[in-house]
Amino acid sequence: MNLRSILSVGPTLWGIGIFLVILGGSAPWIPGFLLTLVTGLLIWATLAYSLNLITGLVGYVSFGHVVFMAFGGYALAFGVGALNLHPVVGVALGAAVGLALALGIGLVTLRFRGVYFAIATLVIAVAALYIVLDIEELGDGKGIILNPAVEPLSVFYTILVTLAIEVGVTYAITHGRIGYGIRSIKGDEDAANTLGINAARIKLFVYALSGLFAGAAGGVYAWNVSGAFPYSSFSLTFSLQMLAMIVIGGMGTLLGPLIGTVAVYLPSQVFLTIPLLSGLQFIVIGLVVIIIALFVPGGIVGTLRKYIPEFRGMLE
Amino acid sequence: MTRVLEVSQVHKYFGGVRAVQGVSLAVQEGNVIGLIGPNGSGKSTLLNLIAGVMKPTKGRISLDGQRIDGWPAHRIVEQGIAKTHQIPKPFLAMTCRENVAVAAMFGSNKQKDQSEALETAGRVLTLVGLEGKADSISSNLTVQERKRLEFARVLGTGARILLLDEIFAGLSPEELRDAIGMFTQVQKEVGFGALVVEHVMRAVLTVSGHVVVIEEGTKIADGSPREVVENPAVIEAYLGAEAVHAPT
Repeated sequence: MNLRSILSVGPTLWGIGIFLVILGGSAPWIPGFLLTLVTGLLIWATLAYSLNLITGLVGYVSFGHVVFMAFGGYALAFGVGALNLHPVVGVALGAAVGLALALGIGLVTLRFRGVYFAIATLVIAVAALYIVLDIEELGDGKGIILNPAVEPLSVFYTILVTLAIEVGVTYAITHGRIGYGIRSIKGDEDAANTLGINAARIKLFVYALSGLFAGAAGGVYAWNVSGAFPYSSFSLTFSLQMLAMIVIGGMGTLLGPLIGTVAVYLPSQVFLTIPLLSGLQFIVIGLVVIIIALFVPGGIVGTLRKYIPEFRGMLE
Repeated sequence: MTRVLEVSQVHKYFGGVRAVQGVSLAVQEGNVIGLIGPNGSGKSTLLNLIAGVMKPTKGRISLDGQRIDGWPAHRIVEQGIAKTHQIPKPFLAMTCRENVAVAAMFGSNKQKDQSEALETAGRVLTLVGLEGKADSISSNLTVQERKRLEFARVLGTGARILLLDEIFAGLSPEELRDAIGMFTQVQKEVGFGALVVEHVMRAVLTVSGHVVVIEEGTKIADGSPREVVENPAVIEAYLGAEAVHAPT
């Protein structure tokens, strides 16, 4: 890549890049409770971008994305707990497990289209929990508890770098030749095939990337909460929350998942701190998703792009 | 080298339904072959078999002697055979130029460079008379324009044998005249070979040098446009037995 092509990547990528650099630079001075909040936000942003790859870009709605996150978390917990790995290596292990799972699951499920794919992913997510409950090495149903001596800044920087790579990868695959292939598959898969696009291969490639980043994010999540526990790791609300984030932010856009994460995550944290409202956030999120899907299906970023044409080139 | 597509004794069964039963034909680069027949006679199925959208139950399809039956659709396009869709399937979120550029990037030419592919797309759109719409989003096109875009996309792949499924259907008489004129000129210029499935008799008899007629999945006639329309079996297939013996 020469200097000129680096400079021409567009304001959105620049904006996200500068935001992450400022965040990274100021992290040592951010007070503890706020750093925890920001780390959580970045973990969720990584998950939202991961789902955005397969659902936003390719158009395959996945209800079971939590599978990659949960196995990524278990990979870290097992690696750190049983094999004494450094947590960052554990995160890499989580990414590798996410990638391998996505390749295996995708090889079968990506043959289904539309609602059948969505159902298949949902079923796998439900089944995966019961498989993990029976594996002795993964805590035999009780989960794996790690030594909670967590250094918050290491967690923060790990997820920051992961997210930065993920946003870069998203940009790269949407702007190359393969980006045309991806958009064609989303537009009409049959037409794509008859114009020479190997749709099966491109879908599997994107799904594998998606699994990789969800696995990494799941690893960081487990590191952050010092363990992996079956019922909470495989919670369906995780999948739904990722979906809500990209629907609200704007599916298939470069900025949308980040905006959606902020819009969903921060209010949720407020709800959680007020005992009376804790748990009700899902009702609110559900209502907002319904309203967005009915009236502004492009989400925040998609709608901005539609009504303000000047933004069109900037938001890609 | 002139490329030749050969279809020999191809069958396709859907359960008990025998959609195609032992059809043979050949298309040579540079020649336009018409494929006609009543509704449900298996024309579109035959195109889908050649294009790799479906696999034949029996029989052999080859390009320059190499067997290609059963190959996935994207590999058939790479080999230089491309098919339009009976109901146009443009990528609605893309401009016309991008639609054709996709074909140039992934088709048999495999232009890796995006700006070159976009240039090719511009040239192809000019050929089919859509240059004024090049930068319109394809969801804004009329039915007639969408048919032209379908045609532009198969041209954009760089394929040498085109399978054209009813690209002249649903046009007004003036639009039809324009479309036939455009097709003939592009064919002369590009020199592709084509298998043209068509209901509009005037179109198919004008553009093809040779016509194949199928009924209920079997070939019933084969010859020049004039021979075919005078063939009693063809008249019977289209108009019923009485028509053959009717006093004129």
